[in-house]
Parts: sequence; C-alpha cells; structure tokens
Amino acid sequence: MVKEMSDEKTKILGFCCNWCCYGGADTAGTARMQYPPNVRILRVMCSGRINPSMVFKAFKEGADGVFVGGCHRGDCHYDAGNYKWNRRAELIKDILLEFGIPEERFRFEWISASEGEKFQKTMEEFTKTIESMGPLQRTFPICSVKQQGIKAK
Amino acid sequence: METQFLLAKAKDKELAKRGECGGAISALFKYLLDQGLVDGVLNLRQGVDIYDGIPTLVEDSEDLMETCGSLHCAPTMFGDLISNYLSDMRLAVSVKPCDAMAIRELEKRHQINEDNLFKIGLNCGGVVMPLIAQKMIDIFYEVDPDDVVKEEIDKGKFIIKLKDGSHKSVEIDELEDQGFGRRINCQRCELKVPRNADLAGGNWGAEPGWTFIEVLTDKGKKLVKDAKKSGYIEVKIPSEKAIGMREKIENVMIKLAHKFQDKYLEENYPDTENWDEYWNRCIKCYACRDACALCFCKECDLEKDFYNDENEVVPDPLTFQGIRMSHACFSCVNCGQCEDVCPMEIPLAVIFHKMQKRYRDKTGFIAGVSEELPPLYSPEKS
Repeated sequence: MVKEMSDEKTKILGFCCNWCCYGGADTAGTARMQYPPNVRILRVMCSGRINPSMVFKAFKEGADGVFVGGCHRGDCHYDAGNYKWNRRAELIKDILLEFGIPEERFRFEWISASEGEKFQKTMEEFTKTIESMGPLQRTFPICSVKQQGIKAK
Repeated sequence: METQFLLAKAKDKELAKRGECGGAISALFKYLLDQGLVDGVLNLRQGVDIYDGIPTLVEDSEDLMETCGSLHCAPTMFGDLISNYLSDMRLAVSVKPCDAMAIRELEKRHQINEDNLFKIGLNCGGVVMPLIAQKMIDIFYEVDPDDVVKEEIDKGKFIIKLKDGSHKSVEIDELEDQGFGRRINCQRCELKVPRNADLAGGNWGAEPGWTFIEVLTDKGKKLVKDAKKSGYIEVKIPSEKAIGMREKIENVMIKLAHKFQDKYLEENYPDTENWDEYWNRCIKCYACRDACALCFCKECDLEKDFYNDENEVVPDPLTFQGIRMSHACFSCVNCGQCEDVCPMEIPLAVIFHKMQKRYRDKTGFIAGVSEELPPLYSPEKS
C-alpha cells in the first residue's frame, strides 16, 4: 500500500463538504470499500464555501483533477450553500476552458454521508477519467528565455 | 414608466450656441445646479486639445460653459470615480452607455446611492482612442491633428472640422477595416442608447439645433418637466418620422455591433495558444484591476500570499486573470478600461466580454442592464 502511494502519478484534490460527502468518504472507509489513493481530501464546511480561486489554485499547484462533493439538493446544512456552489461551478467550468483545462478534469457530485458506495464509485470513475487523460500539461508559464521571442501586437 | 420622446433645446442663448444640439443637456445641468437639487455635476471638459477629455466636477453653474459640447476621443469612466471619491455628494452626471452600465452594477452592490444621482445619458456610437485619432487624422485625412478644432461622428462618418472652417470626413468602416476608428470594445458594444439612465439624449433623429431626448424614468420625467417650467429648456414633441429615423439609426448600429461581436468574439477570437502568449506578457502591474469600475474590494484576493509565488517571472494566469474573471467577468460591462490601461496590450476586454456573453446566454443576466444582481449572488434554491 505504501509503495502504491509513492508510485501514484495522478493527483486529484477532493473538496468534501463536512456534512455529507466527507461523511460519505468516511462511510466508504469504515466499510473498507477500496477507492484509488490518488484522491487527497480536503474537508470544507460547505460546498458553498469553495471559491473558484481555490479550484484554480489546486490546478496551479499541480492537481490533475479537482473533485467537489456537496449535499444533495435540498439537503444543505446551511440551507442553500450547494445551490450557490452549483451556480459557481458552472462558471468555473467556463473559466477553466478559457485557460485550456478541459471540463472533464473538474467534477462535482452530490454525495450524502450514507452513500459510501457512491463515493467509492465516483472516485474510481473520476480517477480513471483523469488517468486516461494523463497528467495535466499546462503550457504556462513559459520561461523567460522563450519569452523573448514574443512580439508585441 | 412608459418612455417618452421629446425634442429639447436650451433657452439660454450662450448655452444653446456652445452646447451640442441646442445645449439641452447643459441646460438641464444648469437647472439642477441653480435649484440646488445637486451639489455638483460630473462632466467632461476639453483639455489642451480635442483629444483630451478631462472628467470635471462642476459646482458652480457658471463653470458649465467649459463642459459644453461633445468629445468623441475621451475613453473615460465615471462609475468608479463616483463610488471612490464622490459617493457623499448629490450628483448629476453625464453618462455614455458604459458609464451607466457600470453605475448600475455599482448601485446594486451598494457602492453608489441611486437616490443621490441624476444620470443624464448620452447616446454613444463609440469612442476613439486619442492616440489612434491623431494617427488616423494624419494618415487618412492628411491633416495635422493639431489643426482639428472639432470632431463629430455622424451617418457612419468620422467628421473633422479644421481651423479654417472646412470639413473633412472618412467612412468609419474604412477606418476600422484598417485597424483605426473606434475602440474595439466600442465596436462590439450593443447598448447605443443608455436606457439604464434617467434620460438619454442625442442627435439621432433630431432636427438641427435640437436634442432628441428619450425620457426613461420618473426622475427623468420630473426633471424635464420642472426644467421646462422654470424656463431652462424649450420642449417640443418630435414627429413620428423623427422617432422612426432615430430607431433606424440605432438598429443599424446594433446590427453592426453584432457583426463585430461575431468577428472579435468568434471568428478572430484568440485560441488557447494565443492566450498563453498574451498571458506571458503580463507584468502584474494590477492596472487592469485598478481601472476596472467593478473591482471595488478593499482587500483584493489577487494580493493574498497564497495566490502569489515569488519565483514567478509572470503570474500564473489561472490565479491572476482567472481569479479576476471569477470575480468580475459575469458582470463585465465591456467598458474596455482594462484593455486601455494594459501596458502590455493584452486584449483583456475580449475575454471578459466573451465570458459575460456566455453567462448571459446561460442565465439571462445582462451586466449593467438587468435590474437585479447576477444569479451568482442569489440566495435562491434553484
């Protein structure tokens, strides 16, 4: 297992809502359901707390995929956080595209605390997708030497 | 309120002479100042030459004379001037459509108090950058730019008046084909009549010496009525033909704007590689943020340590422009300020405009025009 961890190439960051998806991951864990070790989970209090900046930062720092798990519609602990997140996520997708990051690398899902199996399946699926796409290769930043070749408009 | 069409001109002879199209707008400002309905008028004054439009706060109606007339080479923005420096004043402000759009977005965000403001709209076909104007006058008109005493945009032509009283004109289409003419964002702009102001004045459809005014709010209606009663302006009802002509001009302009939107936001839109090249030019001077009327936060995300990397020669576009886009692109009013101030000539307005258009298609929210805040700010469960 330790060897597997150090070998893994694909890096996925998972933002999980404290009240649902994080519990879902816990349920999967206690039930000993296996899911890929590529996912690093970050607990947030609500999917509505996640800024686009946090997703961008994850990609900047080398994540190959970003996953966000929130509560099912109507189940938000803070009433409407997941609806706000949903609207924000649509915008994030559009912005990522502009920077050459395909939308398949950014996924969000509604997973409740009891849905260990859904968490496991989602992680397997998402890891498979990201692995098939290979590591995220960003053309940016070009080093300063190359920059000299750029002509002004 | 049902919109109302009027023709108006100043009763004051000096204002009528020096003002554009009969000086109706200047007369309205004079009325507001004289009656003490506002503390000041925010307006444009001509600086050293016609390529120099300086935002000016007029507090004495005697000084209004120097702000008379129109300037087409002044890419200014009044929205953040008001929210940053004049928010405690009762103001009347002359707004072109993008000013009015920025002001509306700021009002919704409680950065400007709507009740303190008279927004006197000016129809706008676009603004020419001062430097570009001088260059094109030199190239296409073969005239020394310093000899030009007045410029005017009319019937698809950019017309200049010279010191000796003669006129020269060139088709704007021709200028723009060669990369001159109006700013690119102005070419794409589809709000030509600022219907988000209290009233909108202009020369389209007006007879010479009169300003065609579209009254849009109750505030505007009362202003025109009272100014007329107090003898500041003369008003008459335009003919059906004049109204039709104005509508026709507006529609032609909008159609042209759509053509330019297709050209700049679809056909000639930079691909990812081009964008990488553009982003690589960024020197992180923050000028785009500082010039943006909608960026009003006291604490800016862009300056947070965790989005910055000391070793970066150029900022990572994802955590620089990307963050700025996630904050502002859905509300972008396409005023072009970011692009104007960028020292590295990154075509920022193109990407922001494209994103707002996409957001509009998805949600129906039109920045600067819609009455409500963008759905992103909504507490609704939907």
